[in-house]
Amino acid sequence: MAATFVVTLREAFEAALLLGIVYTFLDRIGARAQWRYVTTGGALGLVASVAMGVGLTSVSGPLLDLGPDLIATVVIFAAVVLLTWHSWWMRRHASALHGGVVRRLEEARTSRRWWIVGLIAFTGVFREGAETVLFLWGLLAQASVGSWAGITGGVLGVLVAAALGWAIFHGGRHVNVRTFFSVTTVLLLLVAAGLLSTGLGKLQALGVLPAGEPLWDSTWLLDDRGGVGGFLTALLGYRARPSTFEAAGWALYLVAAGILIFGRRTRVRVARPVETAR
Amino acid sequence: MKALVLAVTLLGLAAAPALAAEPAEIALTIEKNRFAPEEVRVKAGAPFVLVITNKDGSPEEFESKDLRIEKVIPAGKTVRLRMPSLKAGTYPFVGEYHEKTAKGRIVVE
Repeated sequence: MAATFVVTLREAFEAALLLGIVYTFLDRIGARAQWRYVTTGGALGLVASVAMGVGLTSVSGPLLDLGPDLIATVVIFAAVVLLTWHSWWMRRHASALHGGVVRRLEEARTSRRWWIVGLIAFTGVFREGAETVLFLWGLLAQASVGSWAGITGGVLGVLVAAALGWAIFHGGRHVNVRTFFSVTTVLLLLVAAGLLSTGLGKLQALGVLPAGEPLWDSTWLLDDRGGVGGFLTALLGYRARPSTFEAAGWALYLVAAGILIFGRRTRVRVARPVETAR
Repeated sequence: MKALVLAVTLLGLAAAPALAAEPAEIALTIEKNRFAPEEVRVKAGAPFVLVITNKDGSPEEFESKDLRIEKVIPAGKTVRLRMPSLKAGTYPFVGEYHEKTAKGRIVVE
């Protein structure tokens, strides 16, 4: 039971985290009406996951050999772009937070980016969704007296992940709004950096990018094959033996995205005195 | 007749390098949530193809953290996994859906 619990918790954690953050984000900018974008995106992600799970069992040959890898790679890089975009957008909102709800909404409406939160929900759920669906399906297919504990564990893992998403939502509504924006922006960038690194590793495994020696080995410190290390791999792209592409991609992304998003702060500061003068 | 022999010979000569360039195939079977064989031996520096057949009634995910491979093999299906040429060493893999029993390793020498 413990084993299946860990697997589904690990797979569903990222989705729960992202959903929790985008729901809270919309709540805090007074755009609860736009929750439907997130809900629709998440639901479509679930539908796509089941469809892919079913689809995989009915295809064979090159479609089965390469198809899932191609889809996974596209989803990963799309998620990186979406999360970066969203962080940048959140940052702009943070500057509007000094105004009232109306101004915040206006700011969001003029940018018309609601569909981004929907897509984030979609990719968040879909990324590990098909795997989780197949895993649970497999448990059911093997259902015998002894494996009910496994099924219970698997379902509990998803439920606990959902509860964590809810906890983020609940907590996020009560913390200081600026703190919420800053913490989630950093968190989203770390998730995006991890995804980028994972995507680069995938491209190396597929032979698109040249493979190479690991840059270092921190297995002694934190093994990425299980426990805490496994969680960090799933969520933040931690690797005990990163390739040059993975490590450099991770670092370069954080620097570039950090400048893009936090570098705008100066412009916000310049804008504020004008606002009070009015 | 002579022409035929010549043609076949030429065809054979033309095909030989192509055949030699085809990476070796190594069969791996999943049965009762275990891999068979549990140890795969390959030569260093030579790409190969892992042909994984899942004989179980439930899906399995072939996963190697070191090689960055995660590959779902649905029940009763065969997946051909192109492997890059590896350096000498031991690369463990697991069946993520049954990590307790489904374990194996690729030994590159």
